Amino acid sequence: MTAVQPTAMMSGRYQRAFTIAVVFLVAGWHLAGAGGQLLHNRSAYGSFAFQGAMWLVMALAITAGSVLVLRGAPGWRPAWAVAVIALAASTAAAAASPAGQMLAVNWAWGSAGWTGVLVLLRRRFAELAAFLAAEALATLGVQVWDGLHGTDLAGFLAVLAWSTGAQVAVAAGVRALDAAAGQAAAAAQSEHAARERAATAEIIRAARHARWLALQESAVPLVAELAAGTADPGHAQVRIRCAVQAARLRRLLAEGDEVPGSLVHELHASADVAERRGVAVEIETAGPLPQVPGPARRVITDAAIAILTAARSQVRITLAAVAAGIAVSFVADTGVVVRLPAVGEGVAIEQQQDDGMLWAEARWNSR
Amino acid sequence: MEQPVTVAIVEDHPVVTEGVASWIRSDPGQRVRLVQTARDLTGLPAMPRPPADVVILDLELSGELVTTEIPGLVAAGYRVVAFSGHSDPAIVLETLDNGAHAYVSKEEGRDHLVEAVLAAATDRPYVTRSQARAMLADQRPARPALSEQERQALLLWFQGMSKASVGRRMSISENTVRQYISRARAKYAATGRTAPSKDALLARAIEDGVIKPGEIVPYKSFARALADRPSLGAPGR
Repeated sequence: MTAVQPTAMMSGRYQRAFTIAVVFLVAGWHLAGAGGQLLHNRSAYGSFAFQGAMWLVMALAITAGSVLVLRGAPGWRPAWAVAVIALAASTAAAAASPAGQMLAVNWAWGSAGWTGVLVLLRRRFAELAAFLAAEALATLGVQVWDGLHGTDLAGFLAVLAWSTGAQVAVAAGVRALDAAAGQAAAAAQSEHAARERAATAEIIRAARHARWLALQESAVPLVAELAAGTADPGHAQVRIRCAVQAARLRRLLAEGDEVPGSLVHELHASADVAERRGVAVEIETAGPLPQVPGPARRVITDAAIAILTAARSQVRITLAAVAAGIAVSFVADTGVVVRLPAVGEGVAIEQQQDDGMLWAEARWNSR
Repeated sequence: MEQPVTVAIVEDHPVVTEGVASWIRSDPGQRVRLVQTARDLTGLPAMPRPPADVVILDLELSGELVTTEIPGLVAAGYRVVAFSGHSDPAIVLETLDNGAHAYVSKEEGRDHLVEAVLAAATDRPYVTRSQARAMLADQRPARPALSEQERQALLLWFQGMSKASVGRRMSISENTVRQYISRARAKYAATGRTAPSKDALLARAIEDGVIKPGEIVPYKSFARALADRPSLGAPGR
C-alpha cells in the first residue's frame, strides 16, 4: 500500500507551482516589458541614470519578494515592505519623467503593480486592491502635479484598465486554482480512504473465512454426529467435546471484536462455558499487558479451553507483564495432566502437576 | 499458651464485620480476640494504650477511601491490616506506602485475614496474592529493585500456586520461597514515606535473617544520584 499523501501536502505542491508561475510572470514583465520600454525611451528621460537606478531598485524588490513567497506565505510586514519599496520606486520614476509624456515613457507602473501581486497574492484580496489603488492614485497624483490634460486622463484610464485589470485577473486566477487544487487533493484523499476501507473490509472478510474454516474442522462434524445420532449426548466424552466446541465458538466470536486487551476478553469468553458448568473462574492481570498477535492469542486460548474443560471446580487465570512479553498462567483442579495444544507462534507452554492441581504457563515474547 | 492477639474491626457494613468476626471465632487455635468494632475511625483511642494490637481497616468507609488515614492510625500505635474490595494495584501500593502491614482483598479474606493479622501482630510480612500482584505491576520510578528470584517467587505466588508448588517449580524449599517473598515485602518497607510500622517490619526482617542491612538500599532518584556524584567540572566540591 502506498503512503498516504496528506491533503494539505498535495494542495501545497500545486500552490507552489502557481507561485513559481507568478514569479516568472513578474520577473519576465520587469525584464522584457519594463526593461524594454526603459531602453527604448532612454533619450526621453531627464536622467536615464536615475530611471535605471529605480529600475534596479524595483528588480531588487522583485527578487526579495520572490524569495519571500517561495519560502512560504510571507507575513504582512515583509510583504508590505516589498510592496511599499516598489510603490516608492515607481512614484519616483514617474515624477522624474518629463511632464506630458509620462504615460508614454513610464515603465514603472506595471512593474510596481506586478510586484504587489507577487507579494500580496495569498493575503486578503482587500490588501492587493488597496495596493493597486494606491499605485494608481500615486501615478495620477504625479500627472495632476505636472498639469493634467484631457488626453492624459484618457490615457491614464486606458493604462489603468488594462494593467490593473490583468493584475487582478492573475491574482483571482491563482486564487481559483488554489481552491481547485485543495479540492483535487481532498478528492484524492477520500479516494485513498475508500481504498483503505476496502482493504480493511477484505481483511475482516478473510478473518471471518478463517474462522468459518476452523469451525468446519471441529464444530460442524460434531453437530453432524449429534444430528445423525452417532454421537450420544449422554456420553461424558461427547459432552466434553460439546463444551470445548462451545468455548471455541465463543472465543471465535470474541476474536472479531476489536477491543483493547483482547486476550483478556477472549479468555473471559472462553471461561464462560466452564462457568456455566459451575466452575469458579478467576481472571486477574498484573501490569500493563502488551498486545499479543492473533495467532499467538489463539495458541493461548486453545490451552485455556483445554484446561477450563478439564477443571472440576476452580480455575485461576492470570496475565502478567514479564520482561519481554506476557505470562498467561492457569491453576486448576484438573486432577489429571491436560494435553495442551501444540506450542508455536512464539508461545512456549510449561506445566506442572502436583497434589491434583495443574499449573500451566504460556509465555509469549515480543522478541 | 500465648496471649491471643487483640484486634479491632473498622468496617461500615455490619454484615462484613459479622463475617470477619466469624472467621476469627472459627480459628481452631483461637489465636485472635476481637475487642472492638467501629463503623468509622472516630471511636479509636490513641496512644499511649491502644486497645488492640491490630486494626482490620476497610479502605472504603461510607463511600470514602481512607488510605490517607493509615499514617494517623500507625502513629497512634496500631498495626493496620487493610481489608478491601478494591484491588487496584495503585491503591494497594498506596496502602503499603502509608504504613499498613498487609493488604487482604475481600475475596482473600477467608483464607488470609486471620493469618495476616497474626503476622502483623509480630511485625512480620504477610503477602497476599493481591499484594503480590500490586508489587509485580509496580511501575513507579521509586519502586524497590527486586531480584530475579524474588520476582519469580512473587509471580508464581500471584499466579495461584501454593508456596510448596512454587518451591518445586523453582527447585528451592518452601521456606526459601517464603524468604524471597518476605524479602521483597521488606524492601517495600524500606522505600517511600517513613512510618514506625515500616521501621518495625524492617527491624523484624533483619532480626529474622530475611534481609541483611546491606541489602536495604534507600531509594534515590536518578536526578538526586546525579546531584550527589562528585562533579568533574566544579572544583572545590
